[in-house]
Amino acid sequence: MRSAGIALALVAIISKPAGAEDLLVAAAVSLREPLDTIARRFESEHAGVRVQLAFGASSTLAAQARAGAPLDVFVAADEESLDALAAAGLVREAGRLRIAGNRLVVIASADLRVPLERAADLERPELRRIALPERTVPLGHYAREWLARHGLLAALGPRLVSTEHARATLAAVDAGHADAGIVYATDARAARSARVAFVPPPAEQPRIVYVAAPLTRARAPALAERFLAALAGAEARQTLVAAGFAPPPGDASP
Amino acid sequence: MSAAELAAITTLTLRVGAVATAAILLPAVALGLLLARRSFRGKALVQALIALPMVLPPVAVGLALLLLLGRRGPLGGLWSALGIELVFTWWAAAIAAGVVGFPLLARASEQAFAAVDPRYERLARTLGLSPLQAFLRVTLPLAQRGVLYGALFAFTRALGEFGATALVAGILPGRTETLALGIYSRVQLGEDGGALALCAASFALALAAMLVAEGWLGKETASEARSEPQASEVNPNRPQASGVHTNQPQASGARSNLTRPPGRNDERGDR
Repeated sequence: MRSAGIALALVAIISKPAGAEDLLVAAAVSLREPLDTIARRFESEHAGVRVQLAFGASSTLAAQARAGAPLDVFVAADEESLDALAAAGLVREAGRLRIAGNRLVVIASADLRVPLERAADLERPELRRIALPERTVPLGHYAREWLARHGLLAALGPRLVSTEHARATLAAVDAGHADAGIVYATDARAARSARVAFVPPPAEQPRIVYVAAPLTRARAPALAERFLAALAGAEARQTLVAAGFAPPPGDASP
Repeated sequence: MSAAELAAITTLTLRVGAVATAAILLPAVALGLLLARRSFRGKALVQALIALPMVLPPVAVGLALLLLLGRRGPLGGLWSALGIELVFTWWAAAIAAGVVGFPLLARASEQAFAAVDPRYERLARTLGLSPLQAFLRVTLPLAQRGVLYGALFAFTRALGEFGATALVAGILPGRTETLALGIYSRVQLGEDGGALALCAASFALALAAMLVAEGWLGKETASEARSEPQASEVNPNRPQASGVHTNQPQASGARSNLTRPPGRNDERGDR
């Protein structure tokens, strides 16, 4: 039949098996820009290697890994997401390392006309929608803990709108769909119109740590190990610091 | 977004749609023929079950597929034994697209075959054709426009599949990220420009498919009309020549609303 012939021809033309030297790295979306830089540098230092980055909420990516996604390396925005994978026997523990830290900031839409300078200001009636991820997402967990510390979690109740991940939170505030949001300090750097309203003081900041590990199911384990080594290297550290990330908490080295 | 990235995502989407359509072509058309030609107990139930992927929430279809294709599901042992990894590969995207496209092709085929008077086929048999020959040379040519419409709609549905695909294939850039998935993830990332570029590509593909439906398959009508006398050669009971009623002309014109382009009736009305 003609359409079958066309379909087969189309398949023949466009089929291209994935290369053996492909590395699929799933990573917390807040690491987007620096990890992209690090991956491109890794590619330039390893001829023929292609690093593909799947960004999302660490919790979503972890769920995909548990469901069988063929991931080689996992970079999460909290220890818990990686612990959940480790419990399923998916993490090569020896290669696990902390690569960075971060801080929470409260961002405001460019349209917001009322002062937003401290946690209590979030209760102002002008703030009709406050964006942050679900509790299962690392950022959502950190942000909700912080709100709870100020007794605001229940008070803000229905005004909290759940977003998919850190960058979706930023996008919602940038687009004016939400009046304010809670994101990582590094996300706020990618804002187009939203501004940082205030930064919670250090004493209130949660311990945010980014962890990376090769996965047991990696198709190219040696390559995955080398990528981890690159993540731990001085150049990667520099890239992360330049993007606004803190050194990993509890880490003595600069 | 780079042109290379756009091209890669578009190519992957086409590959998923083409593989999905090719895979369902034979079973869906065969099922359509069976439903058009045979009545049996539970036929209505079969028809309802076939339509399910079209009317269920796609994400529910996706969950069912995830259970079936995943390593933890009832068939997980089978996949492991065969060394097959389906979930989160583009094959999973093609399977999801095929499943949701299947009802469109099966129902369109059923209606196309139902519109072909079975007497043509029976007459062809009396003239010495085997059942397969009679089907291939008489019934299928008469029904081919409806079948091709069904295939094209299944293909376009496959190109746009999102809900089921997101669950079984994930959104892995360069591996499973189709146009629909790419649009969603870029909106989530606040990359409106990239999302719009992918929307434009989707728009171009959809428009091309619909132009094919109207143009290429429309011309099919002309060639079909030319070949019709040939088909009628095996049919001594031409409507004009005998008092025997045959509903063939109306039936051809009265293909399903799903597959029939507007204005088709007029072309056929004069015969």
